[in-house]
Amino acid sequence: MTELTFTDLEQNVYTIAHMIEEDKLYFVQMAGPPLFAVLLAKRTHAPGVGFLVEEGAIAPSPVFPLPPMMLGSARSHYRSVAWEGMNIVDAHASLGYADYGILSAVQVDKFGNFNSTILGKDYDHPERRFGGPGGANEIASCSWATIIMTKLEKRKFVDRVDFISSPGYLDGSPGAREKAGLPANTGPYRIVTERAIFGFDEKTHMMRLEAIAPWITLEEVLDRMDFKPLIAEPLGVMEVPTEEDLSMIRAEIDPGGYTLNRGEWLMVTV
Amino acid sequence: MEVLASGTGEFKPPNPDEMRAWVHEHKVRKPVDKVLTEQEAVSRFVNDGDYMAFDMNVAARGPVSLFREIIRQRKKDLWVAAKFNWSDVTLLVAGGCVSKVDVGWMETGAIINNALREDRLKFIEWSNGALTYRLLAGALGVSFLPMRWLGGTDVFEKSGAKLVEDPYTGKPVVLVPALNPDVGLIHVHECDVYGNARVYGAGVAPKEIAMASKKLIISTEQIISNEEIRQNPQKTTIPYYLVDAVVVAPFGGYPGSVPGRYIGDFENVFEFAVSQMQGTTDQYLEKYIYSVASHEEMLEKRVGAAKLVKLTQGETVREGYR
Repeated sequence: MTELTFTDLEQNVYTIAHMIEEDKLYFVQMAGPPLFAVLLAKRTHAPGVGFLVEEGAIAPSPVFPLPPMMLGSARSHYRSVAWEGMNIVDAHASLGYADYGILSAVQVDKFGNFNSTILGKDYDHPERRFGGPGGANEIASCSWATIIMTKLEKRKFVDRVDFISSPGYLDGSPGAREKAGLPANTGPYRIVTERAIFGFDEKTHMMRLEAIAPWITLEEVLDRMDFKPLIAEPLGVMEVPTEEDLSMIRAEIDPGGYTLNRGEWLMVTV
Repeated sequence: MEVLASGTGEFKPPNPDEMRAWVHEHKVRKPVDKVLTEQEAVSRFVNDGDYMAFDMNVAARGPVSLFREIIRQRKKDLWVAAKFNWSDVTLLVAGGCVSKVDVGWMETGAIINNALREDRLKFIEWSNGALTYRLLAGALGVSFLPMRWLGGTDVFEKSGAKLVEDPYTGKPVVLVPALNPDVGLIHVHECDVYGNARVYGAGVAPKEIAMASKKLIISTEQIISNEEIRQNPQKTTIPYYLVDAVVVAPFGGYPGSVPGRYIGDFENVFEFAVSQMQGTTDQYLEKYIYSVASHEEMLEKRVGAAKLVKLTQGETVREGYR
């Protein structure tokens, strides 16, 4: 038995880093945890992996520590292979070069649609207004498969999001994305959280629980959701980061702790 | 072409012939010295009610000294494109300059939430890429472009996009209307007095904004000679005839960064954020905008030379930015 202490964000970064393959191209949300997942993979098993960021940097090699205002900074874009603009990298994704998009979301629904626009059902009088889809809409539309990270909470896993900012499988019906003008055979692939990992049923496009953390029960996972997902059989068990992984994240990827220390601290025994 | 669905969001109807006529009548072809003070440039080229676009990478290389001058001159009723912006649109809203925002992504704290609640501000939904694509259509001199995203979402419903049957493939495709801003603002690393300008680094959409905008104000960290421009034409991002005014503004991106030159002033950004949370933004505006006559005076009296040296030293990566 080992006692471990880490944040939900560190777990997500670890999980996604281990999904990353060197022979694929990633379209990554530049700020925060999605970027750190790629940077961890570059250090552990995929040193040459390529990625695009929406403001136009292609395959940068960020300098650590990244500054607090890291977006678009010279340190973030150091030694890219090309500096382009937003239309060029979006076009590369439109052409089909982006194998996986990696994003974070505020709220996600059973068909993998996600919301970053408003909280509340009334668009004209929202409880709270958020920043909008940014580049997530084009990343989730044009990447072949999308990996979304979020936190497992009832208000974040809902039957229907308050507002579809970025597309999952829309209403889940066959060909819904294609009928809306989105590229064929694309869509959400994994929803990654600190307590559980989800995929999607190939036919119904319903969210399916694929694996849970070794330190939580199935009931506890379902209690943290506003709808009941499909459940894979057999249900997998998530890998948790080792002390070595956590040291690498904290010493090399996010030494200031600006980004990944902000989450919920989990103390678990595995 | 059959229209399958239309968003309900407001947009200025694209009109490429009107744009051509504007260019024909107003744009100066002769290479002339276009250097103006920020007061002159904003007073001449930013009008109340204008649609305004700017290039900025969240908080990097934004035309922020021009934003402050717009607030100082109390411009009103602007419609702005907020593609990938941190708190600058919030600053303009706090200054009372903005009535409509086309949203890609932007910071939305108390100032924005309150303005929306009180109907002083209207948002129209797009995405970062949809706005840069609309600018690309505007830059190409056509009225729309098809693209492979936005469809199926509530963003589409609240935008001005359309879903049509593609006349070539027979499949559904999203169209977005061209955006030709009344005025574009771009902060650049260097340019000559005629407006031949260089932007280094990943750029978001400087070329598209420069080409699509009716009026274009460039602010620059530094003036270089026309000879230097001609010795390295590959480095030119924007040619002179697109440009109406050149404003010399070292540290024009402050409190944001200009990659390769200086880092952002996190303390100032934090000061604005705290003022927003405490409802004391008027004091921030007074301190950094209204109580000083110019960008230069703000740097001298409110920021100070020591801070500017620190921000310059803080930019440890310069490779590729010259």
